[in-house]
Amino acid sequence: MSKVRLSLRPSTQGYVLLAPALIVYLLFAVYPMIDVIRMSFSSWNGLSPQAKFVGVANYRAILTQDPVFWGALWNTLIWTTAAVIVPNLIAFGVALALNQNIPGRSSLRIIFYLPVIIASIAVATIWKWMYDPFFGLFNGLLTSWGLSGWIMDWLGDKKIALWSVFVAHLWQSVGFSMVLFLAGLQSVSTTLIEAARIDGAGRWGVFRYVTLPALVPTITVVIVLSLINSLKAFDIVYGMTGGGPAQSTQMLAMWAYTQSMQLGVFGRGAAVSVVLLLITLVVVIPYMRWMFKREDAVR
Amino acid sequence: MKMFSQAFRPVGSNKVDPVLVALWVAFILLAIIWIMPFLFIVFTSLKSNATVMGASAFSPPTELAFGNFVAAWNRGNFSTTAFNGIVITFIKVPLGLFVSAMAAYALAKVPMRMSRALFALFVFGTMLPFQVMLAPIFRQVNAFGLINTYPGIILPYLAFGIPYQVFILYGFFSAVPKELSEAARIDGASHFTIFRRIFLPISLPVLSALLILDFVATWNEFAMALVILQDPRMWTLPLGLMNFQSQFQSDYGQLNAAIIMTVLPAAIVYLMFQRYFVSGMTSGAVKE
Repeated sequence: MSKVRLSLRPSTQGYVLLAPALIVYLLFAVYPMIDVIRMSFSSWNGLSPQAKFVGVANYRAILTQDPVFWGALWNTLIWTTAAVIVPNLIAFGVALALNQNIPGRSSLRIIFYLPVIIASIAVATIWKWMYDPFFGLFNGLLTSWGLSGWIMDWLGDKKIALWSVFVAHLWQSVGFSMVLFLAGLQSVSTTLIEAARIDGAGRWGVFRYVTLPALVPTITVVIVLSLINSLKAFDIVYGMTGGGPAQSTQMLAMWAYTQSMQLGVFGRGAAVSVVLLLITLVVVIPYMRWMFKREDAVR
Repeated sequence: MKMFSQAFRPVGSNKVDPVLVALWVAFILLAIIWIMPFLFIVFTSLKSNATVMGASAFSPPTELAFGNFVAAWNRGNFSTTAFNGIVITFIKVPLGLFVSAMAAYALAKVPMRMSRALFALFVFGTMLPFQVMLAPIFRQVNAFGLINTYPGIILPYLAFGIPYQVFILYGFFSAVPKELSEAARIDGASHFTIFRRIFLPISLPVLSALLILDFVATWNEFAMALVILQDPRMWTLPLGLMNFQSQFQSDYGQLNAAIIMTVLPAAIVYLMFQRYFVSGMTSGAVKE
C-alpha cells in the first residue's frame, strides 16, 4: 500500500474541498455586499473609471430630497406586514385541512403548491392579464354578475394598485408556507394527540394544548422566511407595474435597482440597498442566534 | 367507494365527522379559486384575438387556435431563450451541487480550525437577498468582463445557491456516524477518496431533492438575469416572456401561449418529482 499519496495533511485536504464553494461565494455574494456599503458613500455614474467619495451625501439625499424613498419604504413595510400575516394564515388553515382524513388530499396539495414553482415573472404576466381593464377575467366576471359598478382599473388606479399586486403575491406564496406547516404538523406526535383525547380533550383542546405548542418552531421558521421573501419583492412588482402608477407600488428593492441600473446614480441606489440590508439584518441576526442555540440544544 | 370508506373519520373514531365534511366543501371551493388563473390562461391561449375581445372572459374556446403557440414561439424567440436556459441550468445545477457537497463534507467531517465560523458564514448567505444588491453584483461581474456571457450569470447563481445547499448537506453529513469515515481513514484513504466513494453515494437522495429544487429556481430566475444578460441573444425564458409582455401586450392569445410555454418545463418537473420537492424544502427548514 502506498502511503506516499497521503502527502496532504487532513486539514489541508479539508480546505481544498472547501475552497471552490468558498471562493465563489466570497467573490460573488459577500464581496458585493461589502461593495454596496462602500458605494453608498461615493458618487458613481456607471461610466467613469473612478468613484468619488462623498461621505453621507447619498443618505442625506435619499432621506431628505428623494420624493420616492419614503413612499417606497412605507410600501415595503405595509407589504411585508401583510405578506407575513395573510398568506400564512391561509396556509395554516389549508395545512390543517390537508392534515385531516379527507379525500383528494394529494391533488389538493398539488393545486395549492403549483403557483410556487411558476416563475414570478410569469405570475406577474398571468395576473396582469387577469386584471386587464377591458378583456381581463375580473372585470369580465363583474360584468356577467351584474356588478359593472365595481369594475376598476386594478393596476392603473394608484389607490388599489399595491393591493392588486399583493393578491398575486398571495396566490403565489400560500403553497410555500403550506408545505412547511404540513411537515410540522406531520411531526406532531399522534400518541400525544391520542393521550389528550383519552384525557377528555375536545377538538379545540387538542389543537390548543398539543398541536399548537408543537408547532412553535415551524411557525417561527415560516414567519422569518416569509418576512425575508417579502422584503425582496422585486420580480412581481417589476413585471406587473414597474413601480407605477405614480410610484404607488414602488418598493425599496425595486427603487434601488431603478436608481442604479436605470437612472445611473449608483451611490444613491446603494444607499437604498443598505437601508434594506439593515432592515433584513434586524430579522436575520436574531433568527440565526435562535437557530444555532436550538442546534446546540439538540446535540 | 373504497376511497371514501375511511374518509372524514378522525384518528381513532369510526363515525363520519360532520364538521370535517363541511370544512372539506369550503376547502374545495378555495381550491377552485386557486386553480382559476390556470384555466383562464389555458382558455385564452387557445382563442383568436377576435374571440378574446368578443366573447365573455370565462367561456371555453370554441375553435382551438393552436397557431398561437407557433406564432408566440417565433415572435418571442423561444428557440434562443430556451437554449440559453438549458445551457445555464444544465451547467449551474450539477456544478453547484458538487462544490456544495465538497464544502459541506469538509465542514462536517474534516477537523479544521474555524469550521464553525465558516459554517455560520454560509448560513448567513442563505438569508442574504440578492435582489437587494443587483447593482453591486453587476459591478462585480463587469469587473471580470463577464457581462452577457454564460460564466457571468453562472458564477453569481452559484454564489447565491451554494449557501442553502451547504446548509442542507452539512446537516445530512453531520448525522452520518463517525465510524463510517474513521474506519476508512485508518485504512489510509484520503478525505477526497472518502468523499467520492462513501459520502457522495449515500447523499444521492438529498442531492436529487436539491437538484430538482435548484433546477426550478434557476430556470425561473429573473432579477439577476435582468442586470447581467442585457443582450437579447443571451436572454433566458423569463426575460423573453417579460419582453413579449411589453411588446405584444394586445395579442392576448399569443401572450398566454408564451406564458404556458415558459412555465411548462418547471411545472412538468414538479409534477414528476413532487415528493423530492417537499423533502428538499422541509429538510432544511423544519427538523423533527
